[in-house]
Amino acid sequence: MNAIEVEELRKVYRSNTDDAVRALDGVSFQVPQGCIYGLLGPNGAGKSTLVKILTTITSPTSGRAAVLGRDVALHPLEVRQQIAVVLQQTAVETLLNVQDNLLIYAYLHGIRRREARERLGAVVDEFDLSDQLRETVQDLSIGTKRRVQVAKIFMLDSPVIFLDEATTGMDPLMRRRVMDRIRTEARKGRTVLLTTQVLSEAEQLCDTIMIIDRGRKLAFGTLQDLRRLSEHMFRVNLSFSGGTDGDLVSRLEALKPVELKAEGKTVEMLFRGEQSSLLEKLAEISRSISITQFEVRGAGLEEIFLTLVKHAK
Amino acid sequence: MSGIAAVVYRDYRQRITNIGFLFWDLFTPIAYLTLFGTGFERLLTGSFIVDGQVPAYTSFLLPGVIAMTIFGVAMNTSWGFFMDKDSGIFYELLTYPITRRQFLIGKICFNVLLSAVGSLLAIALGVFAMKVQIRWDLLPLTAAAIIVTTAGWFFLLSIFAIRLRRMDSFNTFTSAAYIILMFISTMFYPIAEMPVWFRVTAWFNPMTWQVDLFRFSLLGIGTPSTILLEGAAFVLFTMVCLAFAVRALDRAA
Repeated sequence: MNAIEVEELRKVYRSNTDDAVRALDGVSFQVPQGCIYGLLGPNGAGKSTLVKILTTITSPTSGRAAVLGRDVALHPLEVRQQIAVVLQQTAVETLLNVQDNLLIYAYLHGIRRREARERLGAVVDEFDLSDQLRETVQDLSIGTKRRVQVAKIFMLDSPVIFLDEATTGMDPLMRRRVMDRIRTEARKGRTVLLTTQVLSEAEQLCDTIMIIDRGRKLAFGTLQDLRRLSEHMFRVNLSFSGGTDGDLVSRLEALKPVELKAEGKTVEMLFRGEQSSLLEKLAEISRSISITQFEVRGAGLEEIFLTLVKHAK
Repeated sequence: MSGIAAVVYRDYRQRITNIGFLFWDLFTPIAYLTLFGTGFERLLTGSFIVDGQVPAYTSFLLPGVIAMTIFGVAMNTSWGFFMDKDSGIFYELLTYPITRRQFLIGKICFNVLLSAVGSLLAIALGVFAMKVQIRWDLLPLTAAAIIVTTAGWFFLLSIFAIRLRRMDSFNTFTSAAYIILMFISTMFYPIAEMPVWFRVTAWFNPMTWQVDLFRFSLLGIGTPSTILLEGAAFVLFTMVCLAFAVRALDRAA
């Protein structure tokens, strides 16, 4: 069974001017149960709108979305009983202390007092919050507030979790801990839909990734599937003994890279094509200009993402 | 814990973090009754007739002060939506497994308690310090009126608190509404001697219905048929406002 099903979903925001903003433009996908599904896209791609629809905060203009078989527009309460959500913006009860934040979140999700108190200890330990337990949240740092926000969802056993850029603002250690916990929860059968701009996070965590831009699906599949999209795509990093002058840059531009970034003595280029012929041309350049460092590597998710988004524009 | 009980508990925990809220909610109306009431008692007592009775001004003002207490509680509670928006929790609350209606009703429950305490303080001051004669037999009607009118004003103000993006716009709106609702009503003076336009406007003002309800349940002033009509109108007003507040929450994003 699919945990999440989305069919031809559209969302149009009407603004005060006559312009209508098409945040989602016919997106369709399915997320199987127990899967970690990553949603990638630049700012304004429609990721958060999609999360808002799936979590019943807003309704779609057309199309259909369901969580565990329940239609989000027709049965919003039933959907809300199955989900836990970390929204993009910080969402904490600033006037209350950390303990009240965690307990009230659990109570509002129907957890009994005794059970909530039992869960509290484990969550507090896992998220290193025991020293801040009695502190008012408005006095905490942004990173700690974010930690409280993410910790809240682990007070629950909701089968579907939505994480909208959940690790933003967290230190690397806590980010890793959250990622480990997400993996553990997925192994237990919980489904996770996450949006992120940290591509390495998606690369390490997600079973399936969908890239969207301007409300449209650009590509989706496993990381291997997406890598296939970038076959014959590779990144070249060069360092020169002298600076990168205009002549050198134009010689490199003549090689027709997809992307070229020159800074100081280094040049970073993204190519699509046959590696061998390109390396021959670079060897020719190296005969007249001394290259101190030369690195070639296959395209990662970042390159795939950038190319797809650039191509879509 | 049920959804409504959890919302009540949340509001309680939030409210006790700031004693200033309680001061505003509970003691400002009492100050009104003591200062404004005492001053005008000297000037106006015996100078006006309401439904064939010549009440002392503090007696006449007491129901208005209770209406003021309730409006103040509703205003502060609805203002809380801006705190929720500021802290970002507002949108997260919309993903919790409770209906929009349950959420709004939960918010009312704790605040009905505050309204009741504020009203009791005002009544106690009136009875013990100002010798106001209360119709104790109609106390259940007073209690029912406190519940319904707290809900009605809160639902009305919530519509604006949810829909308006800026807190200063909301403050401007509530301040203007408060003045118009209070002064074009029967809160401070009987309207029988007022110009026609004033009387017509006052008759369509829910604050008039509320003050008349309390004046009847506390002092026995007013005709039952008119009070019944005004009570029914306020219940209808409350239900319509609840429907619009639920709609505002549905469209909040």
